[in-house]
Amino acid sequence: MGAVRPPGGIAGMTVWLEVEGKQCKVELPEGLRDGGTGECVVDGRALGVDVSVLQSGVISLLVGSGRQYRCVLDGDTIVIGGRRYGFRVEDPRSLKGRRGGAAGSAGPRAVKAPMPGRVVRVLVGVGDEVAEHQGVVVIEAMKMQNELKSPKAGRVVKVPALVGETVQQGDVLVVVE
Amino acid sequence: MRRLIQKVLVANRGEIALRVIRACREMGLHTVAVYSDADRGALHVLHADEAYRLGPAPATESYLRGDLILEVARRSGADAVHPGYGFLSENTDFADACVTAGVTFIGPPGSAMRRLGSKTKARQAADAAGMPRVPGSVTGLASVEEAEQVAGEIGYPVMLKAAAGGGGKGMRAVHRAEELAGAFVAASSEAERSFGSGEVYLEKLIERPRHIEIQLMADDYGACIYLGERECSVQRRHQKVIEEAPSAVVSEDLRRRMGEAAVRLALSAGYINAGTVEFLVDAEENFYFLEMNTRLQVEHPVTEMVTGLDMVQMQLRVASGEPLGIRQQDVRLRGHAVECRIYAEDPENSFFPSPGRITQLVQPGGPGIREDCGVYAGWVVPLDYDPMLSKLVAYGETREIAIDRMLRALDEYVVGGIKTNISLFQRILRDEDFRAGRIDTGYLERLLESDPLVEAGDVPEDIVAAAAALFSAVATQREPVAVTVQESRWGLSARREGLRA
Repeated sequence: MGAVRPPGGIAGMTVWLEVEGKQCKVELPEGLRDGGTGECVVDGRALGVDVSVLQSGVISLLVGSGRQYRCVLDGDTIVIGGRRYGFRVEDPRSLKGRRGGAAGSAGPRAVKAPMPGRVVRVLVGVGDEVAEHQGVVVIEAMKMQNELKSPKAGRVVKVPALVGETVQQGDVLVVVE
Repeated sequence: MRRLIQKVLVANRGEIALRVIRACREMGLHTVAVYSDADRGALHVLHADEAYRLGPAPATESYLRGDLILEVARRSGADAVHPGYGFLSENTDFADACVTAGVTFIGPPGSAMRRLGSKTKARQAADAAGMPRVPGSVTGLASVEEAEQVAGEIGYPVMLKAAAGGGGKGMRAVHRAEELAGAFVAASSEAERSFGSGEVYLEKLIERPRHIEIQLMADDYGACIYLGERECSVQRRHQKVIEEAPSAVVSEDLRRRMGEAAVRLALSAGYINAGTVEFLVDAEENFYFLEMNTRLQVEHPVTEMVTGLDMVQMQLRVASGEPLGIRQQDVRLRGHAVECRIYAEDPENSFFPSPGRITQLVQPGGPGIREDCGVYAGWVVPLDYDPMLSKLVAYGETREIAIDRMLRALDEYVVGGIKTNISLFQRILRDEDFRAGRIDTGYLERLLESDPLVEAGDVPEDIVAAAAALFSAVATQREPVAVTVQESRWGLSARREGLRA
């Protein structure tokens, strides 16, 4: 479905990104998002592009003297020529506050299901002391059993995981403090 | 004896069910699919003439229910069942039940499966057929003491294996005598859990072996031919990852010796239809019988590429009582084929399985590329089954051309929404040792222990940034559009019906 353009066309926009771990700013000209030719400005460098939107999540870029890139969007990565490039859109207002503050080893840490599956074994109980990387729960998906390990040394304070239960990705299975 | 086959029930799912359906179509045979609740929209269902529900998603309630499958055969009037691989393909009771129900089982007779299916029985049959095998016991071990005695005779290191085993379950390498007792108990209990039989046996551990297997095809009339070998040494946790035909190290002479030994074994057991004899081959080109797989193998396409034969069609013809129609001297190997098993798993995160919806699917094509695929864009890969999505096969005049062609195809391949092991193949196929053919069954584990060569992508950062900005701009632009989309009449009337009820 084509976008309904407000009078005067969609204004060009500026996007702040983190691409492969590096921050950059991209200024898009007016109208380019539907395809067509124009000039993108990446961190102050001008880049002449011809954009063709092929389907949802797939675009073709012609750059400079005709170099072609088919770009396929997959979650937080873009696949171009068999390689994946990670990216994240930044909200410029949150850029300052976001730095640092990665979760340390203090405080409770949860062991979460990395994929949907079934709990086949719970290896610890509330009150158990566990070492870092010690196996705490085994879940099965697609005929494979996977042992999930404690992210830190400490004491098990919660075990929501139940043997035989189906879990979704991100479900908390064990909490270690 | 001629058995008329007109309608084939495919008792499997995924790419192999589709593979069989395609062969049936080409031969003008009607096809019947079966499915679990997770597979109503699966590709094999969409390609079949008829489709019948078996039961809930777990295999034990659907694809492993031989009774339900034979009931579908009766209802649909199918006169033959193709079991594919896995599930019921090596279940002798199911093969017998098919015969009792008057349905042709497309595979070996139950009697031959019994003689060769159990690993200990197969080792006895190998001895009788004068085939070299790995030294060790030919019967199950009754006790730790017996295990210690056998291990003492053949010398450490040794390997404990489940008699009913497969896929690396119930297997333990033992390097020293004091480790044996613990390993024996662990292997036996794992075998009991996985296969319902705790029987384990012991054999000498061959250092750095290659896994090479011979493809066989036999008919009702005592003709049995070998279709060359497949190299399957690239494995992870005893599961094959890449297969090739031919092997880079098998000479004409070695191929003939292995092939003739495999044929002797099959004929001694009254084997009919497709089967595979697996060997370990050491650095001195000694080969040792490992086991026989009494079914079509996952990796059969590489053999098809280099022989030019359609093995599923051959299976169907043999099952209907036709003679092979091809002699050993007519089998010619030409070129080289490589197969990658594309799995829904994350190589960057401990190979965790990655079920879920496929949001993008760009499939490779072009010269020398074959893809046996069981999925499509929009399909939700269920968590209940094997994570294999697709088998990508590349063919070329030489091994090097086939490998480069595979790399090109992998570059074209995009699977979005779920993780796949495509990047693992790119790493292996660029690895110097793999390209030089220096592989053994421990090769991949060693490669994975080494640090990956981080190759920066060759797309300039500015291009990636521009693409990312465009995608995010399209996303923000879509939002208001989505709000203005008119609700369909179906939706409105459904809601009104809901209110009225």
